[in-house]
Amino acid sequence: MRAEADAARRRRLRVVGPQSLASGAALLALSALALFLTGDLPQGTLRAMGPAMLPRWLAVGVGLCGLALVVAGLVRAGHALEPWSLRGPALVVLAVLTFAVTIRPFGLGPVTIPGLGLIGAGPLTVVIGGLAAPDARLRELVALGLTLTAGCMVLFGDLLNLPIPLFPQALADAFPSGWSSDARLRVTAALMAAAGLAAHLAGTRGRRAADRTDVPGPAGRP
Amino acid sequence: MGDLLANLALGFGTVLQIVPVEVPVLGMVPLPMNVLLCFVGCLVGTLIGVLPGVGPVATIAMLLPITFRFDPTGALIMLAGIYYGAQYGGSTTAILVNIPGEATSVVTTLDGHAMARQGRAGVALGIAAIGSFFAGCVATVVIAALGAPLTRLALVFGPAEYFSLMVMGLVFAVVLARGSILKAVAMILLGILLSTVGADLETGRERMTFGLQFLSDGIDFAVLAMGLFGVAEILRNLDHSESRDVVRQAIGRLLPGREDLRQSALPIVRGTAIGAILGILPGNGAVLGPFASYTVEKRIARDPGRFGRGAIEGVAGPESANNAGAQTSFIPLLTLGIPPNAVMALMVGAMTIHGIVPGPQVMTKNASLFWGMIASMWVGNVMLLVINLPLVGVWVRLLKVPYRLMFPAILLFCCIGIYSINSLPTDIMFIGLFGVVGYVLIKFSFEPAPLLLGFVLGKLMEENLRRALIISRGEMSTFVERPVSAGLLLVAACLLAVALLPTIRKGRDEVFVE
Repeated sequence: MRAEADAARRRRLRVVGPQSLASGAALLALSALALFLTGDLPQGTLRAMGPAMLPRWLAVGVGLCGLALVVAGLVRAGHALEPWSLRGPALVVLAVLTFAVTIRPFGLGPVTIPGLGLIGAGPLTVVIGGLAAPDARLRELVALGLTLTAGCMVLFGDLLNLPIPLFPQALADAFPSGWSSDARLRVTAALMAAAGLAAHLAGTRGRRAADRTDVPGPAGRP
Repeated sequence: MGDLLANLALGFGTVLQIVPVEVPVLGMVPLPMNVLLCFVGCLVGTLIGVLPGVGPVATIAMLLPITFRFDPTGALIMLAGIYYGAQYGGSTTAILVNIPGEATSVVTTLDGHAMARQGRAGVALGIAAIGSFFAGCVATVVIAALGAPLTRLALVFGPAEYFSLMVMGLVFAVVLARGSILKAVAMILLGILLSTVGADLETGRERMTFGLQFLSDGIDFAVLAMGLFGVAEILRNLDHSESRDVVRQAIGRLLPGREDLRQSALPIVRGTAIGAILGILPGNGAVLGPFASYTVEKRIARDPGRFGRGAIEGVAGPESANNAGAQTSFIPLLTLGIPPNAVMALMVGAMTIHGIVPGPQVMTKNASLFWGMIASMWVGNVMLLVINLPLVGVWVRLLKVPYRLMFPAILLFCCIGIYSINSLPTDIMFIGLFGVVGYVLIKFSFEPAPLLLGFVLGKLMEENLRRALIISRGEMSTFVERPVSAGLLLVAACLLAVALLPTIRKGRDEVFVE
């Protein structure tokens, strides 16, 4: 049914290889961008190559490949475009961006986003990214985010001493001043792991209650 | 020969060296630090490599930061361990779940998973470990034996020869890429183009940086690799509704019986030879090893019909070839300073972070590092044998973790890993960007591997091209007038011509479809 509709659409547009056509067009666009960006740079001579010589010729090469693909897409029957999804990529990218702007204070024009350190960025990334899965469950992700972050704090901050911000400044100040940074880290990690575990237990208990009503199979859970 | 033994002795001396280490509670304790690092590397590498959809490139990129704290020798030994671990973990996934961790374990899924379905998963894993161990031992000796002469060869290489060698490597990569040759060429050109982003080495002029300051150093390789192989892979997996069939049958006993060993002895030897030779080739020849070995075994088998239905030769040969190739692909890096594939490019990154410039001078300037790394390969293979066979149960349980919980963890590790390399939030943003780029490439059925290789070799190529042209006063003919360079280019041209012949093309498609 869907294949027929696709075929009909293809006939109307007279594009026999949509994938080739689209990928060729993308290459042409990239090539044009590179040519534009290197436009004001000197090319030099073979004897003394300028900064633009190689990029420009490479861009021409990429463009030629793109052209060949476009022609192939118009002339030769090829694959259809694969279906795209938006939710997955959008949420995953959002998660990555969230980590980037919250790990340490980040200036965005006039606004400065306060740095949350790993303790804030970690769970946020896991939860936002995790929602990209079609079968995501919020409580499960919260539990995972908290425990994973606690583990990462111990591994990267305590054992490996990597230069990664762990807490926001406000939280570091909230500890009694006599505490060493290691003690602060370990106590926070333990608290987070405990919170994660609590969330997990609460989740399983809730689910067990639900399971009793609708009894899903062991593997066929939607 | 005496030299070789002396060098290996130096290597094992370095690996087994006992250094006093401060342990929090016990104070200073003498520990064989490098052996421990090798062990941890193999263990962690296998742990991450077993996860479906995480190949060696993403594993190494993710784990790169955990090696920062150690001295260069220890760090590289650990990284090498992570590499074999990830490689081996990929085969475990291939056998147990029918998902190849990466390109080189694709053929293992055919007979390995069939064996697992027959309740012989243990034997399949066991023979893979034994074959890999044998291949690893042989490959270690090959590297040790070829290292010195090839390094001497490298010293005669001028810029023109280097350039031609890299062209040959890229042509190899085109021929070995799956799918359309045109698309592979486009990816390689695009990769080189990406490598030219940033300040020009000679004139210092900014190229294609959009005026952004953090781009003036160019794009970081780890960022590109993590985006294309880590994040993009997640995006791709999210599109496919998950159907993982972890074997439900018992794993069975691990040690192959006498009959199994007899059947796999020769395939292991042949696979090792094929893999070791192909692994040395620049342009990721190691990928071809398992395919070639499988084809050979199937052709010479008395009863080819058994293949695909759980023939033990179909696991033993390709797995040996896989490991042999994985190790001999260190040769171009250690002797010529040219990374033949993406994994080796990450090794270059790691070496540079520790202040070591890869190339022929490593062997003379950092002899203990060079030979220590080679000796650690053998130690690493012993570790893999020790780790993998008893821990199979753990890997099986790990494989049952649903993807919806696995990928957020991978994502977090990617973010932390990339941030700790340069402490730049922009790097994290770029892995998101390259992740989307990689997703688009996959949707257009472009292969990201050639792009990465082009990117890796791009800077070196430009440098050598310019140098060669300065020496020859702008005469392009220098590349064909110098005999070695001409020979390399001729090989490249022949390969390309052969790959374009209609009959071979058909055969090539069949190899990859299989």
